Amino acid sequence: MSRYRLLFVAGLGVAAVLLGLLFFGNLNRNLVYYLTPAEAVAQRADFGAGQRLQIGGYVEPGSVVRTADGLRFIVAAGIAPGSATVAVRHTGAPAQLFRAGIGVVLEGSWRGDVFVSDTMLVKHDANYRAPGKQAGPAG
Amino acid sequence: MTPSDARLPILAGVAVIAGQAAALFAPPDQVQGELVRLMYVHVPAAWVAYLSFAITLGASGSWLWRRGPGADRVAAASAELGVFFTGLAITLGSIWGKPTWGVWWTWDPRLVTTALMFFVYLGYLALRRAIVDPVARARRCAVFGVAAFAQVPVVHMSVLWWRTLHQPPTILRPGDPTIDHAMLAALLINLVAFTLVFAVLLRARVRLAAAEDALEAAADARGRELAGDAVSAPKLAGFGV
Repeated sequence: MSRYRLLFVAGLGVAAVLLGLLFFGNLNRNLVYYLTPAEAVAQRADFGAGQRLQIGGYVEPGSVVRTADGLRFIVAAGIAPGSATVAVRHTGAPAQLFRAGIGVVLEGSWRGDVFVSDTMLVKHDANYRAPGKQAGPAG
Repeated sequence: MTPSDARLPILAGVAVIAGQAAALFAPPDQVQGELVRLMYVHVPAAWVAYLSFAITLGASGSWLWRRGPGADRVAAASAELGVFFTGLAITLGSIWGKPTWGVWWTWDPRLVTTALMFFVYLGYLALRRAIVDPVARARRCAVFGVAAFAQVPVVHMSVLWWRTLHQPPTILRPGDPTIDHAMLAALLINLVAFTLVFAVLLRARVRLAAAEDALEAAADARGRELAGDAVSAPKLAGFGV
């Protein structure tokens, strides 16, 4: 019985340490699902050529240009003007719901100042509106 | 099955038909179009999964407190249904994710924590099959059932605690739900319908488990009476007996 209890307490301790590491440990580099444009720009030097990362943000209205093999556009941290932006060159077909103003998560790597992405996920928000009605505040 | 027992399945059937009709008549979404209709099955499946794990938690706690065999059966039945509805929510979410996000699966915190919850409760079901003694099984599974529930709030809050591709909650949030009210009504009808289907399945599974336990107990009792004279040591030639 006491050996069983010892094992139980030891297991509990290991679980607590692992959970603590997961929640509070500085594993952000690998745990954060995507970087905001501001973080991605600030940490650009840390990422070597070809090292892949994910950036999430909103497609800036009016910035989308179709190219022969994909798209060029700008990803901004938010709708508000003056937020950090990243110029993106995306190869491949855009996702079905891709449009100006929608949230996207892009996977790719830095090439100079441009983020070259080959995988695009569309992040739709939690607002559901019938067509023709006033859309809620984007965010 | 008595006539009053048939009331619950009939009610569940009516609610499912009403829910599906409401889901088809609800307006399409501005951004997602018709794809939003997957919400009417994905969200209720996830809600019922939470509910069933909550019932497993309550029944497990009740077993630890009162030691009633009925509580153990409810905990087991609810965990089985929870695993089924978690799998259903993941599958439907995947089907919804492919056209909206562009992928079937991504390593998003909500998806990862949900998959973890699925596998931990599969472990609970495996544990139930691994222990023969009913009391030891009930005790260890009750502890497991209480401890495993800790991840349910983590799954629900994952979209708020971490950056995710999955959208944050629409209804269970402070303030007015950010959803068209016709869509909200359809979603609520489907939540009720799924909950009723869950109740029908849970009741049937608990009754089946009780019948199985009774059969086993009867077989045990009969076995003890028959053994004795009927069983004797084999008589082997050559041993001088």
